Amino acid sequence: MNELIIILIKIICALVWFLLLTLYLTWAERKESAVIQDRIGANRASILGIRIIGLFQPFADAIKMIFKEDFTPRFSRRFLHTLAPFLSFFFVAITITAIPFGDVLKIGKQTIKLQILDINVGLLFVLAMLSLGIYGIIVSGWASNNRYALVGGMRGAAQLVSYEVALGLSLVGLIMVFPSLRLSEIVHAQGGLLFGFLPKWGIFLQPLGLLVFFFAALAETKRVPFDLPEGENEIVGFFTEYSGLKWGLFMMTDFMEIIIVSALLTTLFFGGWQVPWLAADGFHFPWGGQWLLPHGIVVLLQVLSFNMKVIFFCWLQILIRWTYPRFRYDQVMDLGWKLLIPLSLVNIIGTGIVMSF
Amino acid sequence: MIKALGYFIEIIKGSIITTRHFVVNMHFHILKVLGFKTKRKGAVTIQYPEQKREIASRHRSLHRLMKRADGKPRCVVCMLCVTVCPSECIYVEAAEDPDPEIQKYPSIFIIDLSRCCFCGFCVEACPEDALRMDTGKIEFAEYSREDMVYNLEKLIE
Amino acid sequence: MINIFIDDKPFKVKEGTTVLKAAEEAGIAIPHLCFHSAFPPEGSCRMCLVEIEGLPKLELACSTQVREGMKVSTRSEKVIEARKGVLEFLLAEHPPDCPICDKAGECKLQDYYEEYGLFDNRFRESKEKKQKNVKIGKSLILDQERCILCTRCVRFLRDITKTRELGVFNRGLHSEINTYNGEPVNNNYSGNLAEICPVGAITDSDFRFKTRNWFLKEGESICPLCSRGCNIYIESHKGFARFPVPKRVYRIKSRENHEVNGFWICDLGRYGYSYLDEGRLDKICVNNGKGNLTWQECVVSLTDEIKKLHSAKKASRIALILNLWLSNEELFLIKKIFVDDLGVKNIYFVDSSGGETDDFLLTSERCPNKRGAQEIGYDLKPLDSENLMNKTDLLLIFGMPAYDPNNLAEIKALFENVKTKIYFSSHSDELCSLADIVLPTALIPEKEGSLTNVDGIVQKFLQVLEAPGECRPEWEVFVDLGRELGININYYKQFNTPEVVLKEMRKEISFFENKSE
Ligand code: SF4
Ligand code: SF4
Ligand code: SF4
Ligand code: SF4
Ligand code: FES
Repeated sequence: MNELIIILIKIICALVWFLLLTLYLTWAERKESAVIQDRIGANRASILGIRIIGLFQPFADAIKMIFKEDFTPRFSRRFLHTLAPFLSFFFVAITITAIPFGDVLKIGKQTIKLQILDINVGLLFVLAMLSLGIYGIIVSGWASNNRYALVGGMRGAAQLVSYEVALGLSLVGLIMVFPSLRLSEIVHAQGGLLFGFLPKWGIFLQPLGLLVFFFAALAETKRVPFDLPEGENEIVGFFTEYSGLKWGLFMMTDFMEIIIVSALLTTLFFGGWQVPWLAADGFHFPWGGQWLLPHGIVVLLQVLSFNMKVIFFCWLQILIRWTYPRFRYDQVMDLGWKLLIPLSLVNIIGTGIVMSF
Repeated sequence: MIKALGYFIEIIKGSIITTRHFVVNMHFHILKVLGFKTKRKGAVTIQYPEQKREIASRHRSLHRLMKRADGKPRCVVCMLCVTVCPSECIYVEAAEDPDPEIQKYPSIFIIDLSRCCFCGFCVEACPEDALRMDTGKIEFAEYSREDMVYNLEKLIE
Repeated sequence: MINIFIDDKPFKVKEGTTVLKAAEEAGIAIPHLCFHSAFPPEGSCRMCLVEIEGLPKLELACSTQVREGMKVSTRSEKVIEARKGVLEFLLAEHPPDCPICDKAGECKLQDYYEEYGLFDNRFRESKEKKQKNVKIGKSLILDQERCILCTRCVRFLRDITKTRELGVFNRGLHSEINTYNGEPVNNNYSGNLAEICPVGAITDSDFRFKTRNWFLKEGESICPLCSRGCNIYIESHKGFARFPVPKRVYRIKSRENHEVNGFWICDLGRYGYSYLDEGRLDKICVNNGKGNLTWQECVVSLTDEIKKLHSAKKASRIALILNLWLSNEELFLIKKIFVDDLGVKNIYFVDSSGGETDDFLLTSERCPNKRGAQEIGYDLKPLDSENLMNKTDLLLIFGMPAYDPNNLAEIKALFENVKTKIYFSSHSDELCSLADIVLPTALIPEKEGSLTNVDGIVQKFLQVLEAPGECRPEWEVFVDLGRELGININYYKQFNTPEVVLKEMRKEISFFENKSE
């Protein structure tokens, strides 16, 4: 019984965290792009005349999205058309269950893992869910019964499937290094030190793997410079026939993917919730000093560390989105098949060679 | 491979530029929030309806028809503005003025501002300096096209 | 033929011509204001000065006759300088009125100033004040300030109309054109004054301030208002993209043709153009309850009527009332179809009864193609409604811009007596509501064809205006009818343009045989 309540609370907390972050990511995207482009950005949304730098904008957007006409074209396949955005949304949203937000929280005798579900194949689960998201795209393109949307959907599927390969292969090295698929164990494994001072994060053990994973993950998010499935401004994409809330769901899925990618990057390559030199009882600096902290503070620091890293990677992805122009389709394919996949293979072999010594 | 490396360098350069903009602008934004006065601002935005950009003296805004000393329009209906107007948005009709020194005055003078491209050719062409575009009015949006058609009374103000 | 050199180029010219004309023929324009080919040279403007080798001073090109071996330079520095000087003096007293002057755009003074002048005024004295708005005739307004005293107007009234209403009064700076004792210019050719005045001193109140002449498109046509067939330009407005202009045709100007009208046209033709725009019929109206018909359907139903009567051997119950505004080609086609193919005998002509003639251009026949009808072989019977009453089943009648009221009453009476009445008309009038089918037709400037004038000169006219609405030229309708009737299909098949019809007429009718294009 207790267990159930705890899990429920965890689910609610994680979802609230996830959705709030998504909501404010839209705001952050507007603001960040504005700052990059010497503008101010959306700052007009106000409640009772209070503006606070446009922080209400996401709510205004949401309200607009909800009240917009939800138009389903006469010629579309109604059921699938409605199903598609929910598919996309669901498969991305569910991945959050496997992400560890922190280590364990001890309240009295109870120990609570700061992770909804610690599956033993967590990594595979995340990858699997991410690839299922392709269905949302294909189904939407198909159900729209519009040749542009269909072509957009196929383009999207082709791109995602291609990068799926690189994405998976790039992680093989990592699994070899931290011999587990359980995400919490991978994070734990990153707690040690390298050469006595460097945190044993994935980035230092798998730099090439990180590079490949990062690019592949960027492509998975389907945002500029990899926004070929969508190509809103000229090539026309899979959600052409969507409007209102359903379109909003696709949009949200995009942003949630950013967060998931950031969370994965953090978890796999940047020590997850680990803070350098912070152990369960406080800091142990490599030069000898130590600073003991109570349990509550340590957990807080861990969760904060996780959040900071995730936010940083979100920032980085938005920066990339506002820096580069879109690839051409053949370039995208070239990058995926001719560069990233060979590189990830090289990475596996390299890792194997290094490990065998 | 070397080519790809070249791309890679450019990619890095690109993100350095955007990052620089982000950092520099953020710096000024934060200074402003903290209450420091800086010469440069974090954004070049003008908050339009509240703030307005100063209109340059050569700026071409809403037309106006000039008046003679006695209040009659200065226009003599030479139709040079009609001739030169690239949007064909001016229409003038003449009437005979009893004063033989004036002879011709506009009985109808219409500018269809919904077609006007604000090139200012009409002002250049006018031999009587009867037409000017110096009112400084740039906000005259209307709800219907008909309201964008300005007649003599509206233009002479 | 003698040899002269103009600007160092040798030319062969006729003996006895002037330097100006010789140069013009050679394609070299010499600026001139007072000279007009219709009059002997006057030599009052001094604009035409040229340098002739061997002569100490510059000479007037308009009045100097060519001599063998003469060497003329029209563009030497001295000449250009002289032109500038002349212009400066002409403009010393000329008001800067171009913006309100109707002549601007076709004013020779303005053109020459553009070419040779463009100097600032060096005269510090104020300009002489004169009257700017003198009404000197029915529709003529004189601005004495703008007048450059070329006396073209005076010479026109002296030499051409011989009415001498205008003269030059006073001397020197104060000289001005005016009427004698306020007697206005009152002759049927007064409109020509506004045209020959090289500047905007005489303007035409019919055109005054209506528009600017550079908006007008000039089209060559023939005046249909009397049987002289004067050559004219019809000037119509291009229209603006956004604003409708009140009318299409803004003015009529004369077109030089020495065989017909010389340089002139009469006031009737010049001012009587309102029929082109006013009261036009632009839709087919069907009054016998058959609903809306297209041209094609109308032609078919007309054909059916004719065929029915023809096969019942009742062609004599068909009657035609023609007018003389129809072109040679149209009259020919009608004759072919109705007289030759069908054997119709009842063909009559209505026309407004003759007007006054003035022994110069205007004839008494106020229709353009009487001679043509005669030469084609019609005997021009006037309408005889007695003869048609109760003997007619099908009546084809061609209307025209203005009916004689007598004819109109007669036709109306006749209409009550005839079963089927087909009315071809360019204008909507009383008969339109009485006829069974009213077919809108194009006017002469809206179609192609030829007219034969009173002296037997065949003149072609081209389309210069768009026909409004559903209007169609009659010749097209008759070619269609000929083809539909099926009596002589191949014959009518060849007629794609009026030109082909005219060619056929040349073959068949000896009168047209030798007529030039
Ligand atoms: S500004 Fe240009 S487009 Fe506008 S009325 Fe004048 S000439 Fe026409
Ligand atoms: S150019 Fe000037 S004077 Fe001429 S019609 Fe236009 S406004 Fe009037
Ligand atoms: S007469 Fe010629 S030069 Fe004189 S005001 Fe008229 S257009 Fe201008
Ligand atoms: S009114 Fe015209 S035609 Fe007559 S003298 Fe003067 S300028 Fe010449
Ligand atoms: S044209 Fe020769 S003097 Fe006027």
